[in-house]
Amino acid sequence: MIAFKTIKFKLTLWYVVIVGIILSSFSFFLYFTLADSLYKGVDNKIKTMAEIIASSTNRPFGAGPSIADLDRIMTERFGIRPLGRFVQILDESGRVDGSSTNLRDAQIPISVQTLKAASKGQTTFETVQVMGKYPLRVVTMPIMVDTRMVGIVQVGNSLEGVEEALRQLLLILLIAVPAALLITSAGGLFLANKALRPVDEITQIARRIGSGDLNQRIRIKRVNDELGRLAATFNEMIAKLEGSFRQVKRFTADASHELKTPLTILRGEVEVGLKKRRALKEYQRILNSNLEEINRMSRIVEDLLILSRADMGELTMEREETELSALAREVWEDLQILARKKKVQLKFVGDGSTRVEGDPLFLRQLILNLTENGLKYTPPGGEVALKVEGDRDQGVARILVSDTGVGIAPKDQKRVFDRFFRADKARSRETGGTGLGLSICQWIAQAHEGRIAVRSTVGKGSTFTVTLPLKN
Amino acid sequence: MRILVVEDEKKVASFLKKGLEEEYYAVDCAFDGEEALFMVEANEYDLVLLDIMLPKIDGLEVLKGVRDKGLTFPVLMLTAKDSVEDVVRGLDAGGDDYLTKPFAFAELLARVRALLRRQEREAAGELRVADLILDPATHTVSREGQEIDLTAKEYALLEYLMRHVNRVVTRTMISEHVWDYHFDPMTNVIDVYVNHLRNKIELDSSRRLIHTIRGVGYMLQDKG
Repeated sequence: MIAFKTIKFKLTLWYVVIVGIILSSFSFFLYFTLADSLYKGVDNKIKTMAEIIASSTNRPFGAGPSIADLDRIMTERFGIRPLGRFVQILDESGRVDGSSTNLRDAQIPISVQTLKAASKGQTTFETVQVMGKYPLRVVTMPIMVDTRMVGIVQVGNSLEGVEEALRQLLLILLIAVPAALLITSAGGLFLANKALRPVDEITQIARRIGSGDLNQRIRIKRVNDELGRLAATFNEMIAKLEGSFRQVKRFTADASHELKTPLTILRGEVEVGLKKRRALKEYQRILNSNLEEINRMSRIVEDLLILSRADMGELTMEREETELSALAREVWEDLQILARKKKVQLKFVGDGSTRVEGDPLFLRQLILNLTENGLKYTPPGGEVALKVEGDRDQGVARILVSDTGVGIAPKDQKRVFDRFFRADKARSRETGGTGLGLSICQWIAQAHEGRIAVRSTVGKGSTFTVTLPLKN
Repeated sequence: MRILVVEDEKKVASFLKKGLEEEYYAVDCAFDGEEALFMVEANEYDLVLLDIMLPKIDGLEVLKGVRDKGLTFPVLMLTAKDSVEDVVRGLDAGGDDYLTKPFAFAELLARVRALLRRQEREAAGELRVADLILDPATHTVSREGQEIDLTAKEYALLEYLMRHVNRVVTRTMISEHVWDYHFDPMTNVIDVYVNHLRNKIELDSSRRLIHTIRGVGYMLQDKG
């Protein structure tokens, strides 16, 4: 039953119905036009013959003598052999005066009406049944002398040829039309199959993708038809899916790798430590190192939690009026101790009104992450500048964090916002970075309809710029 | 037995070195791929512990470089990557075994012993030369059923000699497989240790096992 609901079947059915209607109307038209023209042909022939006979019989026949050899006379006079045509001459009262030999003893009947019409000078066509199974087409025409009817000529022609031809045609049409429809349905099914095969292929591939194999693609043979476009769209969709799946997979792998390193250290140090009795100092060293790793793991887990909740859209941003330069000044004050410890000069510049709408906690974290990063990657004696400026003309506030640190190679500049990307893995571990700080900064900026960008020269330093829309 | 630990994470390298040294192995550390390739050429290692994700040169590249140079020591890969593809790639690149982080230190030691045994084509368990027995798992040595107390270096030296029984072992071979990177070739440390070892295992009794091959080195022999 399912087979009857398929597009393939419906298409074929429609195709057959339409071709059937066209073929039947054509056959109908052909049959009736041909029949009409064949009957008219017979009428014309017998009328012509009757006219010829009528125009010349008034004397030779009209005198009354029996004309037993009408055939001979006709052959002599008109060069016409009345083959298959029957001729009968009547006098003005309707009595048979003479007939062609092929009529033998039979008579072409004449009705009173016809006789009356003939007496009025009118010609009548009739179809009568005389002999055999085929009807006879008869024309009855008065023979006129001046305006008086002196006799009647009747010419008949068997309709055998016509009826036989029409019967043949009907037979041919009755066989040919269903045969043509049968062939049409087979062809239609074939065409529908051919046209819809890509659909089956798409279905199968979709099923395989459903079972988790995202490497599958549909082979596109014809690029520009509807199915080609469908396949291309489908392929694009799979590619996007595959991309985001790969991203999630990589992120998970990266996250587990990041967590495995501190775990390896914890487990290894503890196991080696427990192998034998050790000095108190040794135990203290191991515990201190373990604490460091535990702290690192907590930071990674916290950062991961922020990012995954951000991804799920679970983090809600407060929307309150916030003065960026005030936030930045707080951060600057908080980081002075760290800067002094690292012997790096930390400067602050606030310029203009920097009122934005946003979440002060997240904005503070954004400024803190960027400034801390700057301090981490700047060697002693260097300088980190935190600048916040309002740009009324462009309607934006900017946070600029410049350092005189190691800088970022051009090939890495795009990737620094990627999760777990580190331009310098060893240094990042030593400074306690999680590899997620800049990803979080980027998310905070974007959640405030802002942007974050970096410009950097290796060996000279980097400048991170966050642009946020100003509140009017 | 001398082991090279290639690991960029300093703390991991540090506990590996400490733990392995306590098992009487001589241990050197390399912190990136370049250093690792330099070390394996400069020294003779019996086994290498190799991290896959390394700065400068990736661990798999290091492994290929090592095998291309015709070095055949067993390589035990240590990595956080635990997918089947990663394991297959590592083993196909020339690794002999694969351990994913975080690992149990006892398992690491067992795998190290297994790889060293395989290298020497030896049966598992104790090493025996005449009536001298050494157990690599428990680090105990005994002769005529009498347990002998050895220092770490003495033990390592004896294990090396026992693994090369009836073969001449040069002083260079001993220095390369029993001592680490900090060995000073200008001293007679090896001869001193061999003498200590002789005094302990040859007691007052029995046959001599360690023979001096003049101008070459030493040989441990199991028959008279």
